[in-house]
Amino acid sequence: MKIAVSRDDALAVARATTPVRRRRLSLTTQRMLEGYFFVSPWIVGFLVFLAWPLFQSFFLSFHELQATSLTDLKWKGIDNYKEAFFIDARFVPKLLATLKNNLLDVPVIMIFSLFSAILANQRIKGVIGFRAVFFLPLVIGSAQVIKQLFAQGVGGATLSQGINVQELVYQYIGADAAAGVSDLLNRLLFVLWKTGVQMLIFLAGLNSVSPVLYEAARVDGATDWDRFWKVTLPLLSPVILVNLVYTIVDSFTDTFNQVLEYIQQTAFAGGFRLGYAASLGWVYFAVVFLILFVVIRITNQYVFYAGDRSG
Amino acid sequence: MASIAASSTSFIVGRPKWWRDGQIVRRRSITFLQRAFTYIVLIDIAFVFLVPIFYIMATSLKTSQDLTDPTIVWIPSGFFWINYPLAFFSMAYVKSLSNSLYISLGSALGQTVSCAFVGYGFARVRFPGRDALFALVLFTFLVPPQTIIVPLFILYKNLGWINTYQPFVVPSFFGHGLKGALFVVVFRQFFKTLPWELEEAARIDGASAFATWWRIMVPLAMPAVVVVFLFSVVWHWNDFFEPFIYLNRMEYFTLPMRLSVLSPSLDTATGGQASDLFNEALVMAAVFLVILPPLSIYLFTQRFFVESIDRTGLVE
Repeated sequence: MKIAVSRDDALAVARATTPVRRRRLSLTTQRMLEGYFFVSPWIVGFLVFLAWPLFQSFFLSFHELQATSLTDLKWKGIDNYKEAFFIDARFVPKLLATLKNNLLDVPVIMIFSLFSAILANQRIKGVIGFRAVFFLPLVIGSAQVIKQLFAQGVGGATLSQGINVQELVYQYIGADAAAGVSDLLNRLLFVLWKTGVQMLIFLAGLNSVSPVLYEAARVDGATDWDRFWKVTLPLLSPVILVNLVYTIVDSFTDTFNQVLEYIQQTAFAGGFRLGYAASLGWVYFAVVFLILFVVIRITNQYVFYAGDRSG
Repeated sequence: MASIAASSTSFIVGRPKWWRDGQIVRRRSITFLQRAFTYIVLIDIAFVFLVPIFYIMATSLKTSQDLTDPTIVWIPSGFFWINYPLAFFSMAYVKSLSNSLYISLGSALGQTVSCAFVGYGFARVRFPGRDALFALVLFTFLVPPQTIIVPLFILYKNLGWINTYQPFVVPSFFGHGLKGALFVVVFRQFFKTLPWELEEAARIDGASAFATWWRIMVPLAMPAVVVVFLFSVVWHWNDFFEPFIYLNRMEYFTLPMRLSVLSPSLDTATGGQASDLFNEALVMAAVFLVILPPLSIYLFTQRFFVESIDRTGLVE
């Protein structure tokens, strides 16, 4: 990657220093047009499938429409937004519940995937087989399949059958605690099924840490524990940020999300309230965007960029 | 600490097994205890992911007596295969499978070709506004599909695309669709790691920009192509939200969608006998049939998934 950049820079310098001739200029223009040629499909797609719908949904959120045609619109101003926050008794609690769930899930996903990536990165026999198993959720973790599994009670109950955690807790601490533990186990299992991609990214990040640094740390007498906190973690911090953003986006667009279910119901199941659904969608988007912005701002201060990462 | 001290002293003493063909053989000093502990934790985590699959397979073979018998958890009293044909027919398996294949393969093909094309432009060609456009690509990844679902639904309805597969396949040919932005980023990163010399040689020999991309760069990008294609297939296969909005007639349903309407469709398949036959075992047989295709693809291609990010150089 480094070679690529410096080569590119050299070309730019060469282009800048050579006297401007007609031929040279046309070549630059030609390259520029080629650039637009390559990204043009994406731009067309962006305008048709994203920018225009985004604008339209913003427009719709200030209207109410009865049928799925855009002809009989009724201007409502910010009434839809007012309704979402002050009248609708279901939206705000659902939004808060989603925020709370994701606030709990995201750190669990991050820590678990880092932990299992470190394990799967050990040089011991059979580790490739374990890696293959760790990515299974990515392949078969379809929302519907998970839904069915959990509907049938393949949660903490099945998992902890061998050791009977719940029963022990029930006997010694009480019914409330047992329910809590069962909830926690269910939730945990559920969350663990969403760690495939994150683990993949962490594994690659761990691989890219130069062994020389570990060697140096070991010569200086660092223990494994020290090496994790003082070599692995700082060098992994850019990867952690990438993963964090991916995890947040992924959890907030998850199908099990109550808010998204509610938006879908409002739009398509319950009387086609498309304008209101659009405003709910925008509120949700704004919230997610705000969270990402804050997270990136805060996390970026702690990210350690080793050397030139201008790539 | 002790192991580090031991290994360094042994190095100084110069134990012969550290030297092999004149080279230092680097040996990680893992004690037996550490190794055992690592295996235990690895097995624990693998257990979390494998148990549901075993559970699906075990339960799908149970009779209704087995289901209520608390002594039978993992091993059914006999192999009760009848759940499989029942699930097979009530899901209209062949039809749903071909629907799923159509969406997954079509969209994956579109995303692979278009994202490779666009990613190359972002990686290798300099043009004004490139960085701003790339920021837009990242931005599209952040937009929840639910925010724009209403206008898209209206758009597709006006185009007459409801109950067709165009809403999935067409955007993917423009580098959009399910996680399209991610694939553009993957290709951009991959093309950035390739040397410039081949490309320049092709240009000097008179190849056009398109020919250079298609005949020189794409063959070099095969690792990324395979990875993007596989991920796209799997993600589209498991996708649920958008198919449920754009497809509302049963004959167009994908396999995972069929799961959610299993009970009513069993009713029609058996002529109102569903309540007698519908049980957990049947649902699990259906679940197994749904995960079978991706699972069997994964068995042969897991290498590509596991090494995907190393191969594409996404993390530098």
